Amino acid sequence: MATETEDAHDEGHHLPAVEDWPRGFGEASWWPFVTAAGAGGIYVGVALFLMGFGDTNIVPVVYGQATLVGAVGLFLVGLYGWLYHAFVSHFWQRGTDEHSASKLQWGMIAFLGSEVATFSGGFVYFFFIRSGPSWPPGELPPLLGSLVLINTAILIASSVTLHLAHGAIRKNNRGRFIGLLGLTLLLGIVFIGGQVYEYYEFIAHEGFTLTTGIIGSAFYGLTGLHGLHVTMGAVLLGIVFVRSLLGQYSADRHVSVTTASMYWHFVDAVWILLVVVLYVGAEIGGGAV
Amino acid sequence: MQVTGQLLLTVLMGALLLGVAVFLARVEDWRSYTPLGAGGTAGESGYVSQEKPSGIIRWFTTVDHKDIGLLYGTYALIAFVVGGTMVMLMRAELWTPSNDASLDLLGSATFYNSLLTSHGITMLFLFGTPIIAAFANYLVPLIIDADDMAFPRINAIAFWLLPPGALLIWAGFFPLPDVIPAQTAWTMYTPLSAGVGAGNQSNVGVDLMLLGLHLTGVSATMGAINFIATIFTERSEDVTWANLDIFSWTILTQSGLILFAFPLLGSALVMLLLDRNLGTTFFVVGGGDPILWQHLFWFFGHPEVYILVLPPMGIVSYVLPRFAGRKLFGFKFVVYSTLAIGVLSFGVWAHHMFSTGIDPRLRASFMAVSLAIAIPSAVKTFNWITTMWNGKLRLTTPMLYCIGFVSNFIIGGVTGVFLASVPVDLVLHDTYYVVGHFHYIVMGAITFAGMAGIYYWFPLVTGRWYQRRLAKAHFWLWMVGTNLTFFAMVLLGYGGMPRRYATYLPEFATLHRIATVGAALLFVGGLIFVYNIATSWVEGTRVSSGDPWNLAEKNLNTAEWAWFEQRRETALADGGEEGDAVTDGGKVDADDE
Repeated sequence: MATETEDAHDEGHHLPAVEDWPRGFGEASWWPFVTAAGAGGIYVGVALFLMGFGDTNIVPVVYGQATLVGAVGLFLVGLYGWLYHAFVSHFWQRGTDEHSASKLQWGMIAFLGSEVATFSGGFVYFFFIRSGPSWPPGELPPLLGSLVLINTAILIASSVTLHLAHGAIRKNNRGRFIGLLGLTLLLGIVFIGGQVYEYYEFIAHEGFTLTTGIIGSAFYGLTGLHGLHVTMGAVLLGIVFVRSLLGQYSADRHVSVTTASMYWHFVDAVWILLVVVLYVGAEIGGGAV
Repeated sequence: MQVTGQLLLTVLMGALLLGVAVFLARVEDWRSYTPLGAGGTAGESGYVSQEKPSGIIRWFTTVDHKDIGLLYGTYALIAFVVGGTMVMLMRAELWTPSNDASLDLLGSATFYNSLLTSHGITMLFLFGTPIIAAFANYLVPLIIDADDMAFPRINAIAFWLLPPGALLIWAGFFPLPDVIPAQTAWTMYTPLSAGVGAGNQSNVGVDLMLLGLHLTGVSATMGAINFIATIFTERSEDVTWANLDIFSWTILTQSGLILFAFPLLGSALVMLLLDRNLGTTFFVVGGGDPILWQHLFWFFGHPEVYILVLPPMGIVSYVLPRFAGRKLFGFKFVVYSTLAIGVLSFGVWAHHMFSTGIDPRLRASFMAVSLAIAIPSAVKTFNWITTMWNGKLRLTTPMLYCIGFVSNFIIGGVTGVFLASVPVDLVLHDTYYVVGHFHYIVMGAITFAGMAGIYYWFPLVTGRWYQRRLAKAHFWLWMVGTNLTFFAMVLLGYGGMPRRYATYLPEFATLHRIATVGAALLFVGGLIFVYNIATSWVEGTRVSSGDPWNLAEKNLNTAEWAWFEQRRETALADGGEEGDAVTDGGKVDADDE
């Protein structure tokens, strides 16, 4: 702020965005604006797409598609700039006080709280139909096959390897840390692949789609939302992995390993709940008509 | 015929945008704004360019919580003007009962429904939530003596998500071919909002509004995460939980509510969008059923009421004691009642659904919790009254607004207690009584507290005084206007006038006209307010001390004024300005400009 003097700064007012573009200004950064413009653009793109979708031919569909692609690009650029300047650059110069760690952890805890609410919507829908008069919904696809069991085991294993990786970096064992982190990421990607394969089996061979009765909405709504979260978790772990390959993190600098782990374990826990409630809950007493 | 109304609104919107553009063009040096007012010489010290770029770029790139607070405030006030204009069109249309001559103004009842929908959405999501974020951004870090928010960049992102959100929400009104603005009312009940049936709500205008709402919800959630992290971890060492101020307590509680309410709304909105466009069955009869929407919506919607009212209660609890000459009575109990409201607010949602045929046992339990939540609200009210009891009141404009808040809140609250009771609700449900009740809260209480805050902190933000006479005219126009408009609505409801209609039976004409006259008073008061703020910002009398409200003599000063004084001193040392002004409510020497 204009009236601040150097003295005021020496009292400890820190400047959060010295490195950001535009450079040389302590409290100015284009990244938030770019990121938000990208995110807003995604919504506008969806809106334009819906305006050209189906029999509403208000604008050509391609407008929406083009806007979406451009906006996602802009969003990613903004995200990269923001995360890079906020966390990655000058990694080793920044302080390692307890305070900034707890700030980020509280941020993640609050975010996970909001995620509970996000998932609740779909779960409540499932509880409604599962206890409603329309249940059972007729023919169900084979939900409880070997695929879901293997996939669940893979995701649980990935939580274990991530936990071990976290323990390794706490002991400054970098090699073990990077190896286990890479393994976690690999397991996560295999899980996503398994989900894609399950979708393919259901849609192509079972004819079970998003619009297949009341259970289709629940199945694809919940697993789709969860799949998006696993994907985002994999992206987060991927960022952490790349940073670890670049030589970042040590026993006293691993906040983002902690926060990314919290997120990953949360998504894992949601999956277990989802399997119990949706896969098992639908099969038990749901198959026979 | 609908074209006339559309045109009218387009012209109004155009005029508004033109006004903003002219204003922007007139402000030559964007850097000249400082919290101490324009023209300080600190701008030339050379140090400034180390913090923020000059010109309008500063506002696009800022990550400073004070600047972002001002952006939120400006955004909210623009939305307030838009939402207010929408409702003035509706009130003008309601001057006559039938839809002949009067409806020509709007063109059709359909357009009335669109205005009604957008008025509600605009006021709650684009004015209410952001104006609170404005106060919280500017003040919480100052009060708890933090450097900034915990995540300055996320703070900026959260703000910049709002303009595209507003654009999408209002998109139906833009001259786009074949896009009809949503007419779902702000509750967006299915199956109407799912687009089934003979109506025109399958139109993409509803989708645009839902997308815009989702975006503003994401923004609110990011803000809430930021405030929680800030209040938990950025407090300076001498700000403990025991002496945390009441305003920060309400912001913390509100953020906790946002955290669980808004994401759920987000999920419900996405489910509705899927139902509308991809053929899912979330809210379809035989699937989740339309009642599921009401449960999900009100599980968000009732906490939303407290999301909107708790921080204004915090402002009143913070400001009112300054002019009562005493500390807040029963501070601890005001905090406890805030937390109690926060918890209970998630257990009252089905009182909006008493007439839907839900299980009577469910109704009884929700009735009990809804009545119970009146207790912490009453605790607060009695604490405000006892704070003033035997106090040495100074009737400054912020104080008048605080007292107006308490008075209106009592009427809004007591009318609410009756609605919480199932048998009474079954009679009054969906009548103007409900509209009157919640407008006493959102306009009479929440907006009044917002005004108390704006006038109280105007010197802090601008370093200048507002014009006292205009401010008091604003208050009295609003106090009278609010009670005329909304008490008439309470009476209309007793008479059986259903809400959301563009036409009515002739016997309701008198009360409707009273309500319209009251709304006109509110509108005039609003114009005076905007004029006062705009002109005072540029050329108001400068504040002459670091304690413009003379709080020190009663030992009632707070942290943000200490910050103000400190900044002022450094500015003075730099060759700041002199000027003299007395506090509002103090001696006035005919210097009202």
